[in-house]
Order: sequence, then structure tokens, then C-alpha cells
Amino acid sequence: MRGPGRIARGLLADPDRPVGFRFDGRRMSGLEGDTLASALLANGQRLVARSFKYHRPRGIVTAGPEEPCALVDVIGANGREPNRLATTLLLHEGLVAESQNRWPSLGCDVLSLNNLIARFLPAGFYYKTFMAPGWAWERLYEPLIRRAAGLGRLEPLVGDRAAPAETVHDHTDVLVVGAGTAGLAAAHVLGTSGLKVILTEQDVALGGGSLLDARWSAWREGQCARLAGLATVRCLPRTTVLGAYGHGVFGALETLSPPEAARFDGLRERLRIIRARRVVFATGALERLIAFPGNDRPGVMLAGAAHQYLRRYGVAVGRRPVFFLNSDEAYEAVLALSGAGLECAVIDVRESSLAAERVRALGAEVQLGALVVGAYGREGVRTVRVVDVNGRARRDLEADCLLISGGYSPLTTLASQLGARLTWQEAIAAFTPDLAPAIGRVAGAARGVAGLAAAARDGEHAACAIATQLGRAVSAADLGGDLPLDSHATPIAAVWEVRGRGKAFVDLQNDVTAADVRLSFREGYEHVEHMKRFTTHGMATDQGRIGGLVGSAVLAQARGVPVCEVGQVRPRPFAQPVPFAALAGGEVREHFRPKRRLPLHEWHEAAGATFVPTGLWLRPLVYSRRSGWEAVLSEARAVRRSVGITDVSTLGKIDVQGPDAARFLDFIYANSFSTLAVGRARYGIMLREDGMLLDDGTTSRLAPEHFLVTTTTANATATLEHLEFHLQAVWPRLDVLLTDVGDHWAQFAVAGPRSREVVAAVVAGLDLSNEAFPFMAASVASIAGVAGRVFRISFSGELAYELAVPAGQALAAWSAVLEAGKPLGIAPYGLDALNTLRIEKGHVTGAELNGNTSADDLGMQRMLKKHGDFIGRALSQRSGLTAPERLQLVGVRPRARAQRLRNGLQLVAPEARTTTLGYVTSSTPAVESDGWVGLALVAGGRQRLGQRLIGTSPVHDETIEIEIVSPHMLDPENLRVRA
Amino acid sequence: MSAPESGIRLASCAADIVEIAALHGRAPELENIAGARGLELPVLGRVARATDQLALCVRPARWLLLAPPAHSGATAALWQAACARVGAAIDLSSGLAAWHLGGPQVRDVLARACRLDLDPQVFPPGSAAATVMAQVAVILAVLPSGLLLLTPTSTARHLREWLASTARPFGLTPRADVTVAVLSGDETT
Repeated sequence: MRGPGRIARGLLADPDRPVGFRFDGRRMSGLEGDTLASALLANGQRLVARSFKYHRPRGIVTAGPEEPCALVDVIGANGREPNRLATTLLLHEGLVAESQNRWPSLGCDVLSLNNLIARFLPAGFYYKTFMAPGWAWERLYEPLIRRAAGLGRLEPLVGDRAAPAETVHDHTDVLVVGAGTAGLAAAHVLGTSGLKVILTEQDVALGGGSLLDARWSAWREGQCARLAGLATVRCLPRTTVLGAYGHGVFGALETLSPPEAARFDGLRERLRIIRARRVVFATGALERLIAFPGNDRPGVMLAGAAHQYLRRYGVAVGRRPVFFLNSDEAYEAVLALSGAGLECAVIDVRESSLAAERVRALGAEVQLGALVVGAYGREGVRTVRVVDVNGRARRDLEADCLLISGGYSPLTTLASQLGARLTWQEAIAAFTPDLAPAIGRVAGAARGVAGLAAAARDGEHAACAIATQLGRAVSAADLGGDLPLDSHATPIAAVWEVRGRGKAFVDLQNDVTAADVRLSFREGYEHVEHMKRFTTHGMATDQGRIGGLVGSAVLAQARGVPVCEVGQVRPRPFAQPVPFAALAGGEVREHFRPKRRLPLHEWHEAAGATFVPTGLWLRPLVYSRRSGWEAVLSEARAVRRSVGITDVSTLGKIDVQGPDAARFLDFIYANSFSTLAVGRARYGIMLREDGMLLDDGTTSRLAPEHFLVTTTTANATATLEHLEFHLQAVWPRLDVLLTDVGDHWAQFAVAGPRSREVVAAVVAGLDLSNEAFPFMAASVASIAGVAGRVFRISFSGELAYELAVPAGQALAAWSAVLEAGKPLGIAPYGLDALNTLRIEKGHVTGAELNGNTSADDLGMQRMLKKHGDFIGRALSQRSGLTAPERLQLVGVRPRARAQRLRNGLQLVAPEARTTTLGYVTSSTPAVESDGWVGLALVAGGRQRLGQRLIGTSPVHDETIEIEIVSPHMLDPENLRVRA
Repeated sequence: MSAPESGIRLASCAADIVEIAALHGRAPELENIAGARGLELPVLGRVARATDQLALCVRPARWLLLAPPAHSGATAALWQAACARVGAAIDLSSGLAAWHLGGPQVRDVLARACRLDLDPQVFPPGSAAATVMAQVAVILAVLPSGLLLLTPTSTARHLREWLASTARPFGLTPRADVTVAVLSGDETT
């Protein structure tokens, strides 16, 4: 036995395996199988938390995931993790837990004076109190309130410290949620009919309510063994279904058992996405609280929870329990505790009860027709005040715990998420869900069926209905079975609130009282959803599960209508808090998003490249690990003076074939492609439907009905989608075949005045003379023995060729070019040098094709064809898109050679420095001369050539004088590319 | 000789991959052309095997063909010539990586990213589908010899690294490259 509260041997706690742990620095001992809550109770620790708003002392209230109060910080190797539920947290050796929302200590909490001034802090008080001055809310009031209220504080559990998680996709015919008697019976019937079944249970053990009744042990164990023997059934204990998303998709969180966690590298949680054809919700019912003054004192607990602590862990939650209840079901707890030798007293609201008679026969004291009007005691229950139903015959009972039960509410959360209508059932004083049969069934206590045997039979019925629906014959032998008998019961008498002096809570976690609910009504928030938002009732992490309906009932009483008219607040996913790490699953760190690698990635790496992520691609920025411009300029100079080679495989490439290919491209591009000769390439621009530029690139005609479209790297995917959409949805009659060949072709630009010599050395069967293969020529060719393609196109402004070979043979072609260029000093150049070269030439890229620019803005208005339709034609003619004051592309240079340009530099007129005229989009040091050059978008830019403007970057505290020049800063006559 | 039974086995497959696509209404002719070359083109969502060749269909009127590697582009060129005026044949040999997956727990590993139900009862041998795994496009086909996975080459390393780390608890055994003949054969490898 570990701890004074341990009076018996529990079902789950192993008395031979002690486990040491710490709570608030105090060393304690529990047993393997204990939860933190059961171990704390066994150690006599009643006070475990301070409440959210009033800092009132709180104890453990439930024995499961519905716990509102016993939230703790767990301090582990990954740091401090807040808001773990003591009632579901399994004890392990060395566990360190701390209470929350208290200072300096749990026993002596300074802010508990909130409780003394509580009359000034009703629901919504801060909206009314802290209204002026306006500035003070954000700077003063809110920070103060946030410091005073709240539970655990989130530490940034990021990066390497976050616990690993994973996502698994499951498919099944039927998902059975909940493994009580209804769920176990349903899974068995479905499994034997040959249907695939996933049975989830949030508890560590299967059985639900049958775990608490020894008469059911044999049936439960037999059923579990039968399920284990069925290949069609998969049982997932420790798995909570978090949400139902329609179309048969469910999210579930599985907490791994220690051996499974060890096998999966310390994995703690697994998010399961379950797709099922039908669902059985056998989620059971939750015991609810009763609102009366002091119903939050440590020692006030749900009766069923006390039963669970005794049966599962052998822990008595007190020595002198008083029960306050209103249904015969709750007497199971009285029977169990009395049977364990505890001296029980029962206060029952009803005038008569069959169960009360049974309990009396065992010697327990039962007072019928009575109410508890208050629980008293500084740090825990000491006295319970009782009156008769007329409020007379007051007497005080000595007690060390008060075990309450206000009835049982079916768990309707998941069914509600699937649109189930809720119906009020007077017999159980709760709502039950009506689920559409096409979705599934609700079975057992979840639809108000009382008794374990009745629930099991209900589960079987639900399963039979679903099996038949899915075309399976169910043999009669599946039904029936010798089940322990359910006892006859006297009906429940609904009791929601016992009014008296003092705070009566309906939501323990958010400190919402019945008085707050009435205040909400008086303020005009009469709808249950408005009341929820006004009071925060049900908005805490437990979603007010044990008090939700009580709040509705208090509101109904205030409105003078029955509860069924008020209804319940609509539950949303997730059914319980989920760590973000579990939602992220395995797609974190190196798997966060895919990296696209060039065919020659390893070569570039070995050549000392620094890589830069551009979109998903990793591209060589410069072949140097040192920062600074020297290496970049040296690469660019090789191109300007002799020859260089760069990897442009990242460009999007789309193969376009078919009899209507040319027509299709005429629609897609703003300029014409039907007039392009075979063996030639053309620069093209495409617009969006709204007339703005979408993308640019060169497109080559390889055969009369065969084109190759190239796109920018950044827009490759978007452009392919654009083409596919228009082909499939807009012009489905055009006979065109589009194929993404981006990954198949590696492409290299060989650029520089001496590039022809190098390319000639590696290309066979192609006359590269200016006459035979002029600027913008395209041809298939053998490149270093590899069947490929050669294009005479240039991005650098120099004589240049682009060579394309299948990516698998890229190394052979690339190496051959380097070898051939060796005598000429060929060097590979990276993205920085590529940019440097194109900026000088005035070529645009993503910085200028930024989605806000029109063809006219970039000086391409003349490319728009005069005749024939194309995407974006109509809207590109809007006068606004060609207005002279629009931002237009220009070149810029600092007046003083030594000054540098920055991207994003704002350009202003010297005489009007508060109005921006535009900004620098791209900038670079010039390759062959000192000083910087850049491209900019400037209002009416083309009219400003030669003007001087001021470039200013307030964040860098920089101001320089700028001259506006033509964007074609290098070889404006285009002689070099035609050389 | 029997290797220790590991959860998942992974081998690359050296193959020429050609996509053939039919022009409007020309699919039957394309099927005849393929039939003459000893390959029956499967219907959508299926993979068909022939000696040394595979054809799978995951897009309407389009088929991916796998054949033993020939000299650069030769397989595609042959098909291009055969398909003229009926459709197009596009070489994707370097655009798609082909992997052969096997082992008792291969489906358990793939279920960590694949949203499709790969249960042999639902997705039996002969099935093929296109989907997304680990944010990357993937084509899966079930063969008697195991699973064939095709994925774009630029993200193949990402997917392989994801597979390696996800498969760690199950055990991943890399295998030597396999041929198309092995893929299309009747033997479970």
C-alpha cells in the first residue's frame, strides 16, 4: 500500500511496483498504473490547484478527461508543459508535477484575495470597469488581468525540444467510439459479420462502466478475448476521438503505451485520421455536478469518480463520505464505498428510491427528500449543511468529502458535430442525439439507455442495423448472451441548483457561477450561446463538460422556460485539448516541407556552393562559402569577359503537343505563337484574367504541333495549373496534350562572348554559326553524346546558349561543357551572379513580375497582339493599367559611385520628400564598372529618364541621390546576344 | 538464403518511363498500337504487366509505360514514332523516380502519409492511383512482386528521407536496384 488513502487493491494499480514522483517539490510515492490524481489522493493531497479567476482552492473532481480543476504543469526533459490533466496523466518514475496559478505557494496564494473582492468581479466586469482611458486597456489593464487570471503558462516548446509525433491514416468499415458494454458488444457483432472495425477507447482499459462492476468481469474479459481473436477488429485503447468531420472522417489522438513509445523513439502521441463508412457512438454518459454554495471545495467530487478511484486504484477519497444525489445509478458508488468499510451518509433529493432501500440494508444512513445547501471547510470539506426539500430541518454533517451526482448526460459532442438533432428526455433529464442512419448509430448510455446489460444489447442492435445496411448477414447467435442483470431503478428527479449564500459554480475551470448565468440573462444575453460568451461558461479546456447542462438549466430557470427550450451550447472539435505537436505530426523540422533538389545538387555541393531556398528549390547562390560580393562579381565577370555556365534546371518546362497547340498558346500568351517557325524560340508574356502579368519565358517550336513552354522558377506550378485549367475548363474542345517535363530536363545556360566555342565543342550535328543558328534558334542535338536540345536564348545579355539534357545524364553534359571551357577559364555561376547579369541587362524576374504590374508597366505593351483573343486581353485594356502615372520600370544609379543601392529603397522627389514615387525592386553592384545599378518601379518612370530623385530607407537611416536611367543598362542595341 | 524479415524493403528500379497520351477520341487507336507492341493498356486506376514492360493508368487517356532502360531517349522515340497523329509520347525517364517497395509492414509505413486505403482487399494487385504523400506527388501501383512507387525526381530525396525516418521503428532494408522484369514478374521479392 502506498499512501494513507490506499485501502484496497485496485484493478489497475500494481501494489508490487512502487513509483516515486514529486508534486510541488514534495516527494511522494504511488503505484504503477496510478494516474497522478489517484496517487495524490492516495497520499492524502486534497488541495491540488488554485482556480482561474478567484484563486479558490481546488481539489480533484473527476477521474477522467472531463476534469475541470486538477490541471498541473509537468516538468520533463522537454521543458515545462502546462495544463496536463492529473486525472489522465499516468504516473511514472521521476514524474515532476507542479500546481498552477498560485504565488508563492498552493497553500498560501496572495491572489486568493480576489475571492474576497469577488462581488466586484462578476462575469464581464472588466468590460464595464476598465473603459477609460482608452489607451490603458492594452498597456495596463489587460496585462494586469492576464497576470492575475489564467492557468498554466505555455513555454515555447519548439524546435528540437518538442516531443515527436506522427500522423496515421486508418480506413475501416465501421468506427466504434467507446468500449463500454455497448461498444464492446457492437464491435463484436460487426467484426464477426466480416466488417472491418476500429474500436477506440479513451481509457487505458476496455470496458467503460463494466470495469466498476465485478459481476461483469467475466463477460468483459471474454468479450475482449473474442475481439482480440477477430482479425477484422482493431482495438485502440488510450485513443480519444477528437472530432467528427463529415464524409466519414474522424480525428483521434492516441497516447502511446510506454512500450510502444519506446519502440517509436519516444513518440508520445499519434494523430489518427480515421475514414469509416459508418460510425457507432457508444461514448457513454457523463455524471454532472449540482450547483450549490461551496460546490468547488477540495473534497467535493463526483460520486462516480470516488467509485472509480476505489475500484481502479484501491484509493478511498475520504474516510467519512457524504453523498448528495438524485438517481439510483449513483448508488453504485455508495454500495462500493460502504462495501469497502467506509461510513457513508446519503442525501437524496427524492422521496423514495429502490436503491436507497438496498443501501440502508447494508447499514448506510440515507436521508430522502433532502438537499445539501452548502459545503464548508477552509482548505477542504469539513461540514456539509443539509435541509429538507422545503428548506427546513437544517443540520450539519461532519464529512471529509462530499460526493455529488446530478444525473448523467449522454456525451453528444461527436454526434452533434455530424448534425445530430438533440431531443430532451425527461426520463434521464438530459438530451440524446438522433444521428442520421446513413452516418451511423448512437448506442448505449450515449442515447440514454440505462444499465450495462441494456447498453450491451443496444450496442448489438445498432451493430446489426449497420451490418445489414452494409450488406452483411448477421447470425442470431451474435445476439443474446448471459449478461448480468440490471437492477430496477427509481427514476431520477432533476436537481440543478440549490440556492443559498455563497458561490455555486456551474463551470469550475472558468470560475463561472450560477449567479453569473443569471446576470447574463439580466444583461440581455438570453440565448445559451450568448450566455456562453458573456460568462465564458463552457469555454475552458474541459469545455464545461460536467456542468454544461447545469448552466443551461440555470438559464432556463431565469428565463422561466424548460431546459429543452434553452438547449446546450454547440460543441466543436476538438473534444479535448490537443498538443500542437500532435497536429503537426511528422511534418516538422527537416520534413516540414519538401526540398526540391537540382539534378546536379551533389556536384554543386562539392563545388562549394552556398545554397539558397527559392520556393521549394535549393539553388546555388554563389560558389563560395564566404559572404560579400567579390565571389559573385568574379563569377559574373567570367561571363562578361569569356564564358560561364549556370544551372537553370529550376525553370518550369511544359510540353505542349497536338493539332491545336499553336491556337492554345495564342490564347494563353499575350503575344502570338502560331506565327513562330519550327526551330525557333520566342519570348512570351502571359496575363492573368484581370490583365496583370502572370509569367514570362521563352517558348520553342520543336515541330509544327509540338512546343516547349518554359516558365519562371517561381511561377512554374502556378503556370502549369493556369494552362491545365484553361485547357480542361475553358477550351476543352482544343485538342492539346500538356505534360509537365520540368523534372525530366536538366538545363544549363552557357553564356559569354566565347560560349559558342565551348558549345560547339560538346554539341554534335549542329551548325552553330550565326546564319545557321541565329539568336532565338532552337534545335534537338546530341550534347556530349546525350540526346538533348539547344536553344540560343540569353538572360545574361551575352551571347548564350541553353543546353537541355535528361536530368539523369546531366552530369555527363555539364562535365563536358566544363572540360571544353577549361582553356577559356569557364566558371560556374550561381543565382547572385545570374541576377547581377540580368539586372544590368534590364530583364525582369519575380521582383518585377510581382502580381501588381501590367505589361505596360514593364514596357511590354507593344508585345500584346493587336488581333485575336487571349487571356487577360479585355481587362488589360483598362485605362487604369496604361495610365501614365503608373509605376513603370526604369533603371536607377546612385549619383555618387561609392554609394550602394538597396532593394526596397523608396524614391521621392527632392522637393516633396513625404510622397513616395516608387521603389527599387532589384539592385546589384555593376559587373565591369564601379558603383551600383538597379531596377525600380517609378510613377511615370519612362518620362523621368535623366531625372534625379532621392532614394531613402528610413529603417537604415539612409538617403542617397539617384539618377533615373533606361532599364537597359547594358548593350541596349542587343548586339551581344546576336554576335 | 533468407534475409532477416524487416518491416519494409526499398529498391530503386532502373527503367525508361514514357507517358503516352491520346488525342481526342484516339485512345482506342493508341490501345491498338500498344497491343501490337505486346502491351495491353489498362483502364483507369489499373496497372497491366507484360514481359519486361508495365503500363499504368492514373489519368484519363494517359498511360505511363515502364520499360528496361535503352539508349538515351530511344524508348520514347520509338513510341513517339508509333503514336504520331494519334497521341504523344513524352519521355519522363529522368522526371520520375521508380521505387519498388516490399516487406510485411510496407502498408503500415505508407499509412503514415498516404490517405488512400492500401488494404489488399480494397487496393488489390493490379490497382494504381495517384496521390500525395509527405506533401509530394506520388503514383502507387500494386504488383504481385510488391508496390511500385513513382515520384518526381526533384523531390525524390525528400520523400526517401521521410521514408527512411518514418520506417525506422519498423526496420528499413535498402535493396539493390531491380529491373523492370523483376517488377513485372509473378514472384514476390
